[in-house]
Amino acid sequence: MKVPAVGESIAEVTVATWLKKDGDHVSLDEVLCELESEKATFELPAEKAGILRIRAQEGDVLEIGAVICEIEEGDATSEQPVDKTADSKAMPPVTAPVTTGEVREMIVPAVGESITEVSISSWLKNEGDFVALDDIIAEVESEKATFELPAEANGILRQVAKEGDVLEIGAVICRIEVMDGQPAPAEAAHTPATSAAEAETGSYASGHPSPAAGKILSEKNISPAAVKGTGVGGRITKEDALRAEKKAEVQKQAPGVSVQPPAVSGNRQETRKKLSNLRKTIAKRLVSVKNDTAMLTTFNEVNMKPIMDVRKKYKELFKDKYEVGLGFMSFFTKACCQALQEWPAVNAMIDNDEVVYRDFCDVSIAVSTPRGLVVPVIRNAESMDFKDIEKEIIHLATKARDGKLTIDEMTGGTFTITNGGVFGSMLSTPIINAPQSAILGMHNIVERPVVENGEVVVRPIMYLALSYDHRIIDGRESVSFLVRVKQLLEDPARLLLGV
Amino acid sequence: MDYQVIVIGSGPGGYVAAIRSAQLGFKTAIIEKYPTLGGTCLNVGCIPSKALLDSSEHFYNAAHHFSAHGITVSPPKIDLKQMIARKDDVVKQNVDGIAYLMKKNKIDVLQGTGSFKDKNTITVTPEKGTPKVVTGEKIIIATGSKPTPLPFAPFDKKRIISSTEALSLKSVPKHLIVIGGGVIGMELGSVYRRIGSEVTIIEFLDSIIPTMDGTMGKELHKVSKKLGINILTSHKVTAIKNKGREVVVTAAGKEGGEVEVKGDYCMVAIGRRPYIEGLGLENAGVKVSERGQIEVDEHLRTHVDNIYAIGDVVRGAMLAHKAEEEGVMVAEQLAGQKPHINYNLIPGVVYTWPEVASVGQTEEQLKEQGRAYKTGKFPYKALGRARASMDTDGLVKVLADKHTDEVLGIHIIGARAADMIAAGVTAMEYRASAEDISRMSHAHPTYMEAVKEACLAATENRPIHM
Repeated sequence: MKVPAVGESIAEVTVATWLKKDGDHVSLDEVLCELESEKATFELPAEKAGILRIRAQEGDVLEIGAVICEIEEGDATSEQPVDKTADSKAMPPVTAPVTTGEVREMIVPAVGESITEVSISSWLKNEGDFVALDDIIAEVESEKATFELPAEANGILRQVAKEGDVLEIGAVICRIEVMDGQPAPAEAAHTPATSAAEAETGSYASGHPSPAAGKILSEKNISPAAVKGTGVGGRITKEDALRAEKKAEVQKQAPGVSVQPPAVSGNRQETRKKLSNLRKTIAKRLVSVKNDTAMLTTFNEVNMKPIMDVRKKYKELFKDKYEVGLGFMSFFTKACCQALQEWPAVNAMIDNDEVVYRDFCDVSIAVSTPRGLVVPVIRNAESMDFKDIEKEIIHLATKARDGKLTIDEMTGGTFTITNGGVFGSMLSTPIINAPQSAILGMHNIVERPVVENGEVVVRPIMYLALSYDHRIIDGRESVSFLVRVKQLLEDPARLLLGV
Repeated sequence: MDYQVIVIGSGPGGYVAAIRSAQLGFKTAIIEKYPTLGGTCLNVGCIPSKALLDSSEHFYNAAHHFSAHGITVSPPKIDLKQMIARKDDVVKQNVDGIAYLMKKNKIDVLQGTGSFKDKNTITVTPEKGTPKVVTGEKIIIATGSKPTPLPFAPFDKKRIISSTEALSLKSVPKHLIVIGGGVIGMELGSVYRRIGSEVTIIEFLDSIIPTMDGTMGKELHKVSKKLGINILTSHKVTAIKNKGREVVVTAAGKEGGEVEVKGDYCMVAIGRRPYIEGLGLENAGVKVSERGQIEVDEHLRTHVDNIYAIGDVVRGAMLAHKAEEEGVMVAEQLAGQKPHINYNLIPGVVYTWPEVASVGQTEEQLKEQGRAYKTGKFPYKALGRARASMDTDGLVKVLADKHTDEVLGIHIIGARAADMIAAGVTAMEYRASAEDISRMSHAHPTYMEAVKEACLAATENRPIHM
């Protein structure tokens, strides 16, 4: 079984937990393990019934399409699996591939109307590798998307273009010396020690340490598999081994080794933890939004008393009738939808030279989870009523906290609401959830003195912040949008009437 | 403790272990039973046999090849006494060199037979004088091996001799019978054949140098026959009789039929066995296998935690350079380092002329493993350098993985094969492919070009000069 494609831009996943053990008998669709991508955690169901043979360990990072496990057909009896392994080893045809003399030239396929050139982002198979028909041999990047290039024939791969090369549509990417048959299965078994490294670069010798490098690595207790060889074909040179020392020492400190300069008393412990895929993605996205948009924030304040009064009055009734609490979120979502429809630029996004306006409001709700921030989407929120929104929010938030949101449930929002108030934030400038153009920040509700009709009164006040991309949203639109939201919240009857 | 490291035996394994230990800062002593250092290799093995091989080759060339080169000499004569004397001088230079190295590295040389009293205590008993007791934290056993006699025909050192005696004969034998067509038998057999002896090799298996790649055995058989050596393969020696002035060897062929060979000397070269007599291993608790080898783990540690064993006395090929690597490995381990020996890449050499040298897997081993491989061969005949020196016998055979092209074995028979194989070891330590080697520049004209050409042949069957 291979790692399934889990989303457009996801190239690799991490094996989080195996729920089944190697050798376990599993039935069809039984969940085998949990995989973590940069966006979500998801479960891997068994593709068929049989004996599970685990090929990737917990913590391993696998590319999409990499083998994660195998399922051997058979019963769970103790002896049979062994027999089966023997059988399966003996069975594949040992006919060595035979060169047919034919050479297939593979060219850059037409990938889209306006696309005239692509670049090779990475070769997944190495020069000289045997590739089977439909094996993914390279990742190709156009200005719009990354796509995979499958082999058009069985045979030996001869690369023509190098990684990073920019090719026009129709240019030759590689040639395949067409062969009949499969490589002898024994081949894989020959160099088990380096197979992990091989998977990366493909050369049979990659990860092979020179004699001196081998000695240095074993003295430092570093597996050659953990070292990237810079020698010919990925071989590990003495210099690689010497450098690996330092890296490995840093890594050794990773699980929380204290660094204690002698002069200072008291605990000075530092803890290092590897960034999770999710965290890395968040980091990358946030920085790129800051860099790529003209983001600024406008503020306003809302008197929450009217909403609180409505809630107070109908909370019980609402709960009894719909089995869901009446929270503030449904008011805010409704208010935003109304305002978005009146100020469509806030609900729009930039795509190259075009602005994309939407007639629908897919509102992303930022949810904090133990793994990090996720933003599930309430689809067509504009057409939902209060109870539907409340139910959907509960549903999505629960899934988010359990790490079970699907990629679909997190992609495609048109506007985001984030509530820093639950943590006590008074005022903040949220960052846009790209490629959206605006985000509403909610904050805590504090009783403040305000002036109403010439008198100072105490009101529960929430500050609102709207961060927006000034490239497509002008000040008039953003400020008007936020004022509109304020109006709708301060007088919920307007929500009902749409005025 | 008197010493941090005590090495028993001063052969190439022992003296190298001692030097490396001393280099690493250990207070080291080495115990040697014989009056000279260097063990079998320097005294009665590698070095003296090569000295005689070279002498015999000079004689043979003078007698047979000089005229073709346009050099006329009156028929050369053998002065065996001088030949042996020169060999003895070569040996002396070498063993003196070892004595110097011991001094230079401040290693105490203890003359006498070492015998364990317990795991840290060794009694050193010299031939004359009083025994001395020394103690050491770590002990390295490097006592080597001795020629194995046939059970029914022990060495009498007069007519039935081992390689040791064969290196010091007083006269050129008329007919030397050699039991065993292995490395030692072929080397010394060819020495005496070249200086005029009739030589008959009797081998039990169906090929000479049977542990090497089959092609090498076949080629060596061919050139040995050309030299005039009689070779009987698949013959089992059943009796050897010392009849005073001659020795009579009886051997049975595979399909029945008995042959009787008469000669003046019979050299038994059927192998060597670990030499552990008098070591007192039982006092230390060191265990020995059924084959008489000291049992060691992958770190060459015996069952006793402070005692190590290296070289011929443990498992593996009985080769000086293997023992040397093991000596270094043990010493470095004692210093807390983690060296590793790639036993698959220890080259094997036969110093006949032409020489035979190989590294890695033989074709027979690859077949047995069921591995998909390809072969590239290139004959010396097609080599300019070989023709220039009239050394056109031989070939290079390269075995490579069929799919990855990784070189799996290199087998050379031909002039200077012994020196050439080092390049093969280097390439294979780095897991070079046949094409890798064939894309490296090889100086012209050299014998090494044959290796390049064989690699081209293995890569895509495209040698240039064939």
